[in-house]
Amino acid sequence: MQLNTSASVISFAKQLEGDSAGFYEKMAERYPKAAELFLTFSKENKNYETMVQRAYYGVITDAIEGCFAFTVETDKYTFEKEPAKKLRDADALNQAIDMEQKLISFYTDAAEQSKAFMADVPRTFLIVARKRRNREDKLRALLKET
Amino acid sequence: MAILEEPIKGIVEVKNYIDGEWAESKGEIQDVVNPVNGKIIAKVPISTKEEIDSAVEAAKAAFPDWRTTPPVARARCLFRLKELLEANFEELSRVQTQEHGKTIDESRGETRRGIENVEVACGIPTLMQGYNSEDIASGIDEYLIPTPLGVFGIIGPFNFPFMIPLWSAPYAVATGNCIVIKPSSEVPLSQMKIAELVDEAGFPPGVWNVVNGGRTVVNGILDHPDIEGITFVGSTPTARNVIYPRCGATGKRVIAQGGASNFMVIMPDCNLRATIPALMTSFFGNAGQRCLAGQNVIVVGDDDRFYKEFVNGVLDTAKKIIIGNGLDEEVQMGPVRDTEKKKKILGYINSGIKEGAKIILDGRSDFKIKGSYPDTCFLGPTIMETVKPEMKIVTEEIFGPTMGIIRVKTLDEAIKTCDDNPFHNADAIFTSNGRTAREFKYRVKSGNVGINVGIVAPMAFFPFSGMRDSFFGILHTQGKEAIRFFTESKVVIERWP
Repeated sequence: MQLNTSASVISFAKQLEGDSAGFYEKMAERYPKAAELFLTFSKENKNYETMVQRAYYGVITDAIEGCFAFTVETDKYTFEKEPAKKLRDADALNQAIDMEQKLISFYTDAAEQSKAFMADVPRTFLIVARKRRNREDKLRALLKET
Repeated sequence: MAILEEPIKGIVEVKNYIDGEWAESKGEIQDVVNPVNGKIIAKVPISTKEEIDSAVEAAKAAFPDWRTTPPVARARCLFRLKELLEANFEELSRVQTQEHGKTIDESRGETRRGIENVEVACGIPTLMQGYNSEDIASGIDEYLIPTPLGVFGIIGPFNFPFMIPLWSAPYAVATGNCIVIKPSSEVPLSQMKIAELVDEAGFPPGVWNVVNGGRTVVNGILDHPDIEGITFVGSTPTARNVIYPRCGATGKRVIAQGGASNFMVIMPDCNLRATIPALMTSFFGNAGQRCLAGQNVIVVGDDDRFYKEFVNGVLDTAKKIIIGNGLDEEVQMGPVRDTEKKKKILGYINSGIKEGAKIILDGRSDFKIKGSYPDTCFLGPTIMETVKPEMKIVTEEIFGPTMGIIRVKTLDEAIKTCDDNPFHNADAIFTSNGRTAREFKYRVKSGNVGINVGIVAPMAFFPFSGMRDSFFGILHTQGKEAIRFFTESKVVIERWP
C-alpha cells in the first residue's frame, strides 16, 4: 500500500513501533537471559513513537504539503510481529536484526521525503534511525555471544 | 489506515457565549451539516440584534477591569489557554474536519497555526512596550504608551473556522481589549470549543464573547457605537462594499481581508520534483477553499518539452489524489463546504470552457470517492489549459479545486499578468535561479510572495498581508501589526517644574 499523507505515515510509524515493541516483549519471554535488554528496547519504542508524534504535531501546518509529502510503500517495511516459533536463539536474533534494518530504512526514507518540512520532522526520523542502528549493533553483539 | 473517530456524536446545540455564560438565543435555528455525508451535526442560532447588543454591553462592562489587569496577568490567561488548546489538539482538529470537510492533516495544520497566534500574544508584556525620549527639551521627557481601546468585533469566514478568528482574538485580549467573535454560521463548532477552553482558562466574564448568526449580527457589530474596530475575513464584495465603508462611516478602525486569485509562476529551471507536490497542496489543498490557494499557474518560456513534462507531471499527480472523508488519514482532498459552493465552482469551470479554456482533467465528473459517501459536495481536481488572463476563471475568485494553465514567453509578461489582476493576495514563483526569484519578489505587487513555496502563509509573528482587492485597511492581522491595530498610541510630554 502507498501512503502519501503525513497523517497516514505518522500512524504507520506508530504501528511499526507498536509491532516492534510487541516483538521484543515476546523475545524477552522466550530468552530470559537477554530479557532486560529486550524490554528496554520495547520501552524505547514508546519514546520513539512520542518523538515522532511530537515532531509532527509541532510543525504540521497548512503550508508544509501535509497531504502530498510522502510516497511510502508500506510493504517494504513490514515485518513479522512475533519471533517465529521453534526458532533457535541465533535465528530469532537475526529476525530482530532484519526488523531493525527495515525500520532504519523506513525512517531514513521518511527523513529524505520529508525534507520539505521544517527541520524537526526529518531530524527526528534520522535520530530514530540512528538509535536503531545502535540497537542493531547491540543485537549483533548478542548474536556473537550466542 | 483507519478512519479516525468523530468527536461530535449526535447533534450539538450551539449557544452564544456572553459575559462568561452560555446563553440560548431567541433567534431562528439553522442546521450545521457535515459536507462529507450530509449528516446534521449541530444546530446553530441566528442571533438577534438584542443578543449582539448584550454581548457588546458585557464586553464594554468588562473592559475597565481587564484594561487595568497587568499585561503579565493577561498573558497568564493566554498561557493557560495555550495549554488547554494543546491538551485538546486532536479533538479540536477533528471537529474542524467534521464541520468543514478538510483533511485531518489540514485541520491539524490549522490548529497549529491558530495556537501559534496565542503563543505570540503570550509575549504581550514585551510586545506592548512603548518608547520614550528623555530631554526632548530642557527638563521635558516624552513617551509613547500603547493603550487598549475597548471592544472589538471579529468576523470569521467558513474556510478556516478555528484559525482565522485567532489571527485577531489573542492580540485583542492580550492588549487589554474585549472581543465579540462572530463565527461563520456554517462552521460554528470550532469557536464554540475555543470558548469552552477560554472559560476554563479563567478569562474574566465579558472579555471573550461569541455570538453566532448572520447578517443581523454583522450589522449589529458594524453599527454599534461601542465597538472600536473590526477584523473581517471573507469575500471581496463584502469586504469592499460593506465592511470597509461602514467602518469608515461609523469611525471604526478596520482590517478587511477579501478574496484572491493567486498565480504560481513556473520557470523552466524549477525543480519539478519539488514543485509539483507544492502545487498540489496550493491548488487542491483545503479543496481550493483558501485565499492563499493557487488559482492559475503561469508557465514561462516557449520550451514545449518542459511545458509537456510539467503538464504531464501535474496531471499524473492530480489524477491520483485520494478524495474522501477527511477523517480517513489516507485522504488527500475532502469535499467543498456545501452544495451552493460546489454549484458556484461548477459555474466557473463551465465559464472557463465557454471562454476557450481546454479541460484536461475534469473534476466535475472524473473522480472517485474513497468510501461510500454521496457526491453531493465532492468535486475532483480540475485542470484547464489555454487559459487567458482576461477569462473569468482568472479575474474572479473561484475558491475551489481548479487549476488554470496560462503560457507566457517572459518573466516580464508573467509579472504583468499577476499585476493586471485585481487581486493581490499571494503570488509565488518556482525557480532555481536566485536572480529571477529576486526580480519577481521585488517587482510583483502582491501582499504575500512565495519563492518555491505554494502556500504563502505568514507565520503568526508576521502580518498576514494582502493588497488591492484582497485587502482593505492599513494594518494587518497577526504579530506586531495586530498589536498596533488593537492599541492607540498615547503620547505623553512631561515636565516637573
